[in-house]
Amino acid sequence: MQPFIQLIKKEVYRFMSIWIQTILGPVTSAILYQLIFGHQLSKLSTGIPGVSYATFLIPGLVMMQILLNAFGNGSSSLIQSKYTGNIIYILMAPISPFAIYFAYLISSIIRGVIVGVAVFIGIAWFGVGLPKVWWAILYFMIIGSSITAGLGLIAGIISDKFDQLSGFQSFIIVPLIYLAGIFFNPYSFSGVWKFIAMLDPFLYIVDGFRYGFIAHANSNIEYATILVLVSAILVNATGYWLIKAGVKIKH
Amino acid sequence: MAALKIKNVSKKYGQFTALKNINIEIEEGDFVGLLGVNGAGKTSLISSISGINSFIGKISVMGYDVLSQVIKAKKNLGVVPQELAFDPFLTVYQTLKFQSGLYDAKNNKAWLDEIIQRMHLEEKINSTTRSLSGGMKRRLMMAQALVHKPPVIILDEPTAGVDVEIRKSLWDFIIELHKNGHTILLTTHYLEEVEKLCNNIIMIDKGIIIAKSPKNDLIKKASELASTLQIETLNGKFSDNLKHLLINEEGNVFTLKLENNNQLFSILEILKKDDICLESININRPNLEDIFLRYLHRT
Repeated sequence: MQPFIQLIKKEVYRFMSIWIQTILGPVTSAILYQLIFGHQLSKLSTGIPGVSYATFLIPGLVMMQILLNAFGNGSSSLIQSKYTGNIIYILMAPISPFAIYFAYLISSIIRGVIVGVAVFIGIAWFGVGLPKVWWAILYFMIIGSSITAGLGLIAGIISDKFDQLSGFQSFIIVPLIYLAGIFFNPYSFSGVWKFIAMLDPFLYIVDGFRYGFIAHANSNIEYATILVLVSAILVNATGYWLIKAGVKIKH
Repeated sequence: MAALKIKNVSKKYGQFTALKNINIEIEEGDFVGLLGVNGAGKTSLISSISGINSFIGKISVMGYDVLSQVIKAKKNLGVVPQELAFDPFLTVYQTLKFQSGLYDAKNNKAWLDEIIQRMHLEEKINSTTRSLSGGMKRRLMMAQALVHKPPVIILDEPTAGVDVEIRKSLWDFIIELHKNGHTILLTTHYLEEVEKLCNNIIMIDKGIIIAKSPKNDLIKKASELASTLQIETLNGKFSDNLKHLLINEEGNVFTLKLENNNQLFSILEILKKDDICLESININRPNLEDIFLRYLHRT
């Protein structure tokens, strides 16, 4: 247990030691998004009775930064360890692949949650009420971030170079997160566009998290809860298998 | 009990065979030098022992199988990897504390202080690892391998890039660890290091063990080889009467086979008689390197 906790502590120390980049950066981005989109689109209808655009946008921005930072933590930590070679110390240590994987996963979730709380404190005063459904906030924050954290670990494991990792983030993660209903309500689309939007798994994470603040979900909340959990299990089972098999990590 | 037991171990990277049916048994408290040229299979073997390589066969550390009893086997092992590896976010002290945590080594502050001092890292304990020189990083890696006082220590070229003075003090520390009962497997390109430190020597080439022998036996074998005499003349002239002893000739430098030391007198007499002016003269005694090269060329 001690090596497992030690690895989590080291990973948390790593991202906290560069807090300007890992915490302050996302908060500043979220404030800018809120200032620009919140102001310019303040008259935009959210399609949800009684919910202003600011109230709609804030939970989306918080969840966007949670998902992006959970992804960024594991992916950058692993590829840096591969580059500097210090991953060898983790591989040679008396710690199981299961503990290694979950230590990286938990520290990535911790970063996502810390960033989420910081972003919320930074932009909540633009106009969102207090949380209404606590379980939804905690559930979608933790299980949702475990999906991007797991994807980050997978990307960190399979990438040989930083540009491959960057491609994974730029062409897969960022589009899926941006199109997950952060800035707009995809349920207001029609026809094929609505169908395509519904295929984005991150949409259910954002919708479920927003449900925690406005007590209104566009999707079926039970369905979203199960879908997010199943996705988290599948992604993290894949990540664990990659670590256990030593793909692109062991010789 | 064997501290390290390697039985029928083979390793392939694609079509390339790095290790072919290796069998080694190292007794507790032994100090073994593993010699081989680059690409001979030394690091593949060490990676297999330390659990970062898959392999065919069986390896155990202090009786624990490295595949089925992996945690126990790893707790008994400390490895200094060949490639420089460091965590750029941590200071020297944080690195050692973190490493201690990974090995569940508690209350080891006194031991950490001692290895920091023995590795000459006292002035750098609060420096980040990325600010260390190559030699200092190498010493930190050695300290990392020792935080949990492992009974079996593997040193994969631990003194590469370390300056002469500190290398000497590292040797003293390694000798002390050995005296305290640690079993040590050392790979190095400095053969004098092996000659000075090890009890037994294993030579590996192209993934095959080509020699396994006590160091003294190998040195005895070396002493049975003929010495050579290197003569540098002033004008490149050389005596025809000594041509039958000539092994090599490079410019003004002539290398002769020296059957015994008394032969030196007669050689000098002939040189004087033939009016050959000497610039320098040097006797080269055969050493471990000659034996190593002899084994290598035999395969």
